[in-house]
This record gives sequence, structure tokens and C-alpha cells, in this order.
Amino acid sequence: MAVDTATPGAVLGTPRPNTPRARRYLAPLLLPAVILLALLSIYPFVWLIYMSFHAVGLAPGAPSEFVGLDNWQRMFTDSQYWASWGVLARYSVVSMVLEVGLGTLLAILLNRSKHEKLLITVLLMPMMMAPVVAGLLWQYLYNGTFGWYFWGLRSVGLLDEGTILGSADTALWAIVAVDVWEWTPLVALIVLSGLKLVPQDQLEASWMDGAGPVRSFFQVALPSIKGSLMIAILLRFMDNIRIIDHFIALTGGGPANSTKVLPLYLYEQSFSFFELGYGASIALTLLLVTILFGKLVVNRFEEREPRPSKKDEELV
Amino acid sequence: MTTNPRTGTRDDVTQVQDDRADVRGDDLLPGPAVDARDQVVRGRGSRIAGVVITAFLGLYVIWTLVPFYIMITSSFKASDAAFALPPEGDWGGAVSQLFVFSPTTEHYRGLFAQGEFERYFTNSVVAAVASAVISVVFGTTAAYAISRGRFRGKRDLYFWIISTRMAPVVAVTVPLYAIFKNFALLNTLPALILAYTVFNLPFAIWILKGFFDSVSYEIEEAYMVDGHSRWQALWKIIPLVAPGLAAVVVLCILLAWNDFIFAAVMGGEAAKTLPVATQGLKSASGIEWGQIMAAGVVTVAPMLLLGIVIRKYMVQGLTMGAVKQ
Repeated sequence: MAVDTATPGAVLGTPRPNTPRARRYLAPLLLPAVILLALLSIYPFVWLIYMSFHAVGLAPGAPSEFVGLDNWQRMFTDSQYWASWGVLARYSVVSMVLEVGLGTLLAILLNRSKHEKLLITVLLMPMMMAPVVAGLLWQYLYNGTFGWYFWGLRSVGLLDEGTILGSADTALWAIVAVDVWEWTPLVALIVLSGLKLVPQDQLEASWMDGAGPVRSFFQVALPSIKGSLMIAILLRFMDNIRIIDHFIALTGGGPANSTKVLPLYLYEQSFSFFELGYGASIALTLLLVTILFGKLVVNRFEEREPRPSKKDEELV
Repeated sequence: MTTNPRTGTRDDVTQVQDDRADVRGDDLLPGPAVDARDQVVRGRGSRIAGVVITAFLGLYVIWTLVPFYIMITSSFKASDAAFALPPEGDWGGAVSQLFVFSPTTEHYRGLFAQGEFERYFTNSVVAAVASAVISVVFGTTAAYAISRGRFRGKRDLYFWIISTRMAPVVAVTVPLYAIFKNFALLNTLPALILAYTVFNLPFAIWILKGFFDSVSYEIEEAYMVDGHSRWQALWKIIPLVAPGLAAVVVLCILLAWNDFIFAAVMGGEAAKTLPVATQGLKSASGIEWGQIMAAGVVTVAPMLLLGIVIRKYMVQGLTMGAVKQ
């Protein structure tokens, strides 16, 4: 860190953070957490690879049978596997577009509002709700007999027949709405933090030149909040892969598999049919995509912090 | 507080932003100072814009709060009242039905009458708090070491830690289920505590590192010059990151408390938590919507309270520290 290099530790004769003496202190601080995390993440990861080549025995003590590439072959020829990627992509793209559009608009207005603090408190509320509870609550609102949102949609004439969750045409978008309800505020708050850094003098200059609010936004504000927007988009994509509680509560994948996103298909294979070996193969492909996304996210984070320079690393 | 690790000139940056906040008026869009704006948008136009903005924000607040309102009121309505809807298009009837009803606590009494719901609540508390404490204790020392140390492979260590946090919950559940089965840990609280630690420990390390980065090394150095050991120096600066510790504890509790998948797969009946119990009300002998709403209130209320307490750090935590408040 640049901050650390500036400290005059060596001059005072105390251990600087990068000396061998300092490392003796740092290792015992670091290692317990690293070992615990390794046990909880690398060990299961190795297991996952092992499982993907086996038909996993379910009875206590039952051995797993080596099946070679069977699970993998099955996955690549499984049409539902690929269809579920499609559902996940459609779901993620649509909810992301809505959340980013609405969230950016909200952020701009919040930034100008006298009641910013109060509004942020309100916006935080949906994010505190357990996703499965949010799913159940919305299932109640969508219910075709006594759901208020169902009643509202019928009353304004937007829904002619069928129920919201019972139709393959509407079920996925109904879950998108829940995601938008719960997580648009997160996007808004990330973008808001970016807006706070927009250079005001440039905006003023843009206004003086006669550019309207919309043009000023695209010319001056947008470049400044690009980084925040990118983080928001990536985090939302990651969470769409991570969390399937809304789907479990609202539809369980139906009707006619129209809401069966890939993580939900994985859940079903592993814990409804107990095809744990096959589940492991699917899980590994999901993890691979997550790691790629994770790399993008981390690169974004690091743009806000200096990379440790080569010189620093050589000091060790 | 806004920190700038690149230059270390936090105070200056904060100062500049404060100045800017003063200049910023209460007007539309990330616009310039008020006087410059008036030349562009004149009186009437800006008043209309103001009305539109207020209306949009008002509608958004309503959209956000209506589900909460319906959840809370339905949990206090007798079943026949909660299930009754006015005829389609009868908006007046809707308003009276939404706001006028005689409250009853029958659903809450029904929940706790089974005698099991208190246990689910306790399970949720134990699993969430234990995982949060483990994560913060191990996370604090590791975050300190990563913040202060320079060693080869630090970036790879970083990436490994954060990617663990971002792994899909179901993908992690598959191997953990098999492992916990081998160790006969299925359907126990320790299984849940360990599972939550998979996500909470990297989260704690990641966020706390940011807090340690914002504490100047010179403070520890001063203690060490005075003859304190490094461990003592770390102990001495803990108060400086205390707000961070509190925020991380709450956010770890929030993540564990709100989990469904781990508890549904590995908790069983013995370690059933509130979200699983709430979802369980759906399949057991028909759907008890009144009780589901009551269970939802019981599940959500504590987290709302905690969230408001650490409101300031909430965004930072939910964005993995990408946004510093």
C-alpha cells in the first residue's frame, strides 16, 4: 500500500510490515483463517471434482462407484441443462436491465432529494428480508384467489386470463419483478456513491454550455459512474447465480420448466433426485462461470486500489 | 467516511466532498450549483420537474412498502378477512379492506402454540451468531495481516478469498452435504454454522481489511516504539475499527439468518431455522397464509432493526466493500 511505504518505520528502528521479523508476527495472524477457509472451500472443491466422476452412494457407508465421464456426457447431452442456462440468461439480463435503469434513475433523484437519508432507509428494507420470505410474500400477492397484485392487475385490465404464476408466459417475469423489488435499491445505492464523486465544476460547465440535463448526464456524469455501474451489474449477475430462494418459494421451476434456472435445476437434481454425482458436474460448470465473473469483479475492485508493485513483492 | 488508499489523503478528499455537498442544491439531476441552473431551466419548468420527481420517488416508496404493509396487516387479520378481496375494479372497497379490519393475534398464537417455533427461532439465533463470531474472530486477525503484510501471492490469496464468498450457494451445498454426511454432521447446528462460515469468513476478511487499511500504520508503530508487542499494538487499534467489527457482525448474522438452501438441505428437523420453517408452513396441511405472514414478520423484524442500527455500513457491506460510505 502506498500508505505503508510512506511510514518512516525503518527510520525509527521498528519492524516494518515487510521485514522477515514482521512476517513472523503476521503468519500466526493469517494462518488460522486461511486453514479454516481452505478446509471449508478447497477440500469441498476437491470432493466436488471427485463426485463428478462417480455415482455417489446414498445409503450410510455405501461406496461411490467410479463412472468415468458418464456424468459429464449426460450433462452435455441433457437438453434441460442447456435450456436452464437459457432461462438463467433471460432472467438475469431482463432483471439486470430493469434494475440498472430504474436504479440509476433513483440514484440521480436521491442525490437531489432533501430526504435522501430517510429514502435510503426505506430502500434498504427489502434487502433485509430473507429471500425465501420475500418469495412467499409475493406468492401471496400474486395468488389467483386472494392476491392483491393479482386483483390489481385484473382491475386495470392487464391480465385477462389465467394466474400470474400459473402461466409459462408470465411466471418468469413475475419473479423478475420480485428481484427488481428486492435489489433495485442496491443498484441505486451503488450508483449514488458514484454520483457523489462526479466533478461538479464539469457539470456546471456543461450546463453553462446549454446542454440539457439528459445530455449533461451522458457526457459528464456517466463516465464518472461507469465503474460503479459495472460493479452493480457484476454483483447482480453473481447473485442471480448464487441465490435461488425466490424461485423455490414462488414456482419451484414450473410451470413447464419455464422458470427452471440452472442453479435450481442443480438443486433439484442433487436434493430432490439425489443425483449427487450429476449435480457435482453441473455445480462445477456453475462454479467455473462464477470464477470468471469473480475475476472481473475483483479487477474492478482493484482499479480502486493500487496493485502491489513488483518492487513490493520482491522485498519479501 | 471516504478513504483514498491510493494517495492516503483521506481528510482532504472528504473535505472536498463536504464542500461539494454544500454547493449541491436541491435540484434536478447531477446538475450544477443552483444559480447556474436557473439560467438554463426557468421557474415553471423546474417546478414541474420537481413535482414529477417527487411523484416518482413517492411511487417508488409505495412500491417498496406495500408488500411490507400487506405482510404485516395480513398477519393480524382473521383468515376470512385476509383472504377476502373486493370485486375487480372496486377501488373504494379495496381501500377500506386494506385499512379497516379488527386485528387479531390468532396467527402468532397459532405459530407458537405448536411449541416448535421458539426452537426454530433459537436455532436461527445460534447458527447466525456462532458463525458471525467465528468469522469475525478469525477474520480480524487475517484482515490485519493482509492489510499490513506484503508477501508473494497476496493477490492470489485475495482472489481465492473473495471468490469463495461469491460461489453459488447450491454448488457449495453439494459437496458439503456429502462431507457432512460422512462426518455424521447432517441435521445438526454445527453443520449450519460451518456452512455459513464458508461465506461469512471471506466476507469478514474482505470488509475488515478495508477498515484496517484506513487506520494509519503510524499509530501501531507508536505503540511498538513504546515497547508494546505487535499483538498488543493490534489490540490497541481494535477500538479504531470497532464500527467495522460491529457492522461485519451484523452483516454476517444477516446472511446466515436469511439463508434458506443450507438449512433446508442440511438442517433437517433438528436444526430447522426460521426461513425453512416459514416455507414449511406451505406444504403442511394446506397453505396457512395467515401463519406464513406472521412467521415472515417474526423472521424479518429482527433483521430490519439490526439493519437500521448499522444503516451507515449496510451499503458498504452489501456491495462487498466496493462502495465506501
